[in-house]
Amino acid sequence: MNGEKTVLICENSMEGIFTAVYDGWLDGTGNHEVEVRTCMPDNLELFCTYRAIETDQVKAGKVMRTILMKLGTEIYEYICYAAVSLHPDRGTAIYRVLRKALGHGRCNTRVMEALADPDVCLVAKLRTKVWHEFHRYLGFVRFYEVGGGVLFSRIRPENDILAMLGPHFSNRFPNENWMIYDEGRETVLLHPKRGECSLRSGVTLSEEYRETLSNTEEYEELWRCFCKSITIQERTNGMLQQQFLPLKFRKNMTEFT
Amino acid sequence: MIIRESMTIMEKLEILSDAAKYDVACTSSGMDRRGDQTGIGNSIQAGICHSFAGDGRCISLLKILYTNECVFDCKYCINRASNDVVRASFTPEEVCRLTIEFYRRNYIEGLFLSSGVKESPDVTMEELCRTVELLRNKYHFQGYIHLKAIPGASPELIEKAGYLADRMSVNLELPTADGLKRLAPHKSRRTILKPMKQIQLRREENKEELALYRQAPRFVPAGQSTQMIIGAAGESDYEIVSVAESLYQNFSLKRVFYSAFVAVNQDKDLPMLPSGPPLLREHRLYQADWLLRFYGFQASELLSEKHPNFNLLLDPKCDWAVNHLEFFPVEINTADYYELLRVPGIGDKSAKRIVGARRTHSLDFEDLKKIGVVLKRALYFITCRGRMMYHTKLEEDYIIRNILDPREKLPGTDSRVTYRQLSLFDDELYRKDVIA
Repeated sequence: MNGEKTVLICENSMEGIFTAVYDGWLDGTGNHEVEVRTCMPDNLELFCTYRAIETDQVKAGKVMRTILMKLGTEIYEYICYAAVSLHPDRGTAIYRVLRKALGHGRCNTRVMEALADPDVCLVAKLRTKVWHEFHRYLGFVRFYEVGGGVLFSRIRPENDILAMLGPHFSNRFPNENWMIYDEGRETVLLHPKRGECSLRSGVTLSEEYRETLSNTEEYEELWRCFCKSITIQERTNGMLQQQFLPLKFRKNMTEFT
Repeated sequence: MIIRESMTIMEKLEILSDAAKYDVACTSSGMDRRGDQTGIGNSIQAGICHSFAGDGRCISLLKILYTNECVFDCKYCINRASNDVVRASFTPEEVCRLTIEFYRRNYIEGLFLSSGVKESPDVTMEELCRTVELLRNKYHFQGYIHLKAIPGASPELIEKAGYLADRMSVNLELPTADGLKRLAPHKSRRTILKPMKQIQLRREENKEELALYRQAPRFVPAGQSTQMIIGAAGESDYEIVSVAESLYQNFSLKRVFYSAFVAVNQDKDLPMLPSGPPLLREHRLYQADWLLRFYGFQASELLSEKHPNFNLLLDPKCDWAVNHLEFFPVEINTADYYELLRVPGIGDKSAKRIVGARRTHSLDFEDLKKIGVVLKRALYFITCRGRMMYHTKLEEDYIIRNILDPREKLPGTDSRVTYRQLSLFDDELYRKDVIA
């Protein structure tokens, strides 16, 4: 039917969005409008079909592989970064960008260049935003030694970037037991010595554990001392510091506690 | 000289990081290396900032001096031989332990090791090499290491250091040979440029070796850098920028850093800076440096003998643009990449995006806004589909007046106001020569 809209409701995750893209691919032919949402909207629309999508790893994997094979790693990265952001229209934008790039048997590897297109522009913006936060966390994650040589870190990112931190830190600290805990999503990224990273969700910190974290050790003191003495007093510029290192990051950082 | 025995590591760190803080090169970029899983660490091309100090500068490396004992007597330096400050030295083992323990807590991206000259340049350089060797070979550290080459050290030691470090730097200190002679009597142009040339030539050879054998050891893979002190010897911006340009061309440096002079010593040869270090001037020099490296500008285009200093009110690119109005307006939909780069408000990223986006759509001002062009500055110099954004004039005075307007009024709102208060001091305001 011409002019009717389909809204695909999927799980709030990257796999969810990719499954929706897979299941809804054929709906997007012709003039038919398709939206991908991660939650039921408050107001339902007339002339609009709502379809719930069940997340399927196999289907999501197929979509991922297709993007990677046909459009290359750069666009794959763009799409993945945009998919873990919080923007409510991200699913729709990703769906439309993929239709533009791959629909009708096309294989347009330059799709992300067309920034005058609102969907492409949104995906590009979200990618920049998420990438920026991810890159900041590469530096701002602080590990605390919690006994037995285990390193523990707490973060509270806006976008769901925890899983992305895995490859970087496991390459950097292959011979350490470390974990990064996302306080907001209550998910933890675990890395055993010389092992593989794994995600575990629904983890809360016990009181005892919180107490162990508040003990300070020698190297934390040394680090605070270093941060203080490296500052040139004559050039003090708190606004500049805050611009690069906003207050929201400082709660879990050794030098600011 | 005050030498205290038995200092704690905390005291040493405090003294030796405080002494290193005036060194500005704190980047961890230029090298992509994945860890080989036997030790600790890796390095990524873009570099990572781990924290920001109270002065807004990034902390990415553990920046310390090996020792602040020094036989040289450079007048601008806090650690000069004639100063009465507490002296301390690390041992190689201490430096390694600090680096590793900081690194595994993700405080730092690597080590920046510099040093005062203890006994002689060779002795100092040897100590530095030994420290870094220990860190690489015993602790299997694969993170970033930035090592200072001590001017006057023997070529063999520089060569050895180059295979251990990612980046090396020799500080030029002052842009003119005369200034160097006056303020750093123990250093000379020759002893500074010699190791720089050596590193450059060795890197070029190394590139060929790597083309033949991919596994060949890499020599200073992240390139070399240097730094200059700004405003200590009364040199002009033109001299500084020309020196920087020739360093990029003749010594293939990765970066030249500028450090606003901070008056830590009282000396008859040093300037008094009652209003603090010349930070704005330093900022303008960095802007010009970017224009040289990424925007295809030449030093002689930005400044000249007659116009030797940057305008403190306008950034160098705007300043260039209002003095070269014959080049403008530029049509966004047809101009090539290098023309776009010359427009104030369009950076290298925006220029690339424009070139990509106009393949599929003809661009308008709305699109430019979304792409990230700073229209506030660009609108005087561009057209989209043959039209300017507002009714603006291509006139030097008019553009400067509007760009500098603190209220940032858009010209559309009062385009009819063409008069202004006559001022006798206008020229002085716009062409104020900086006497630092």
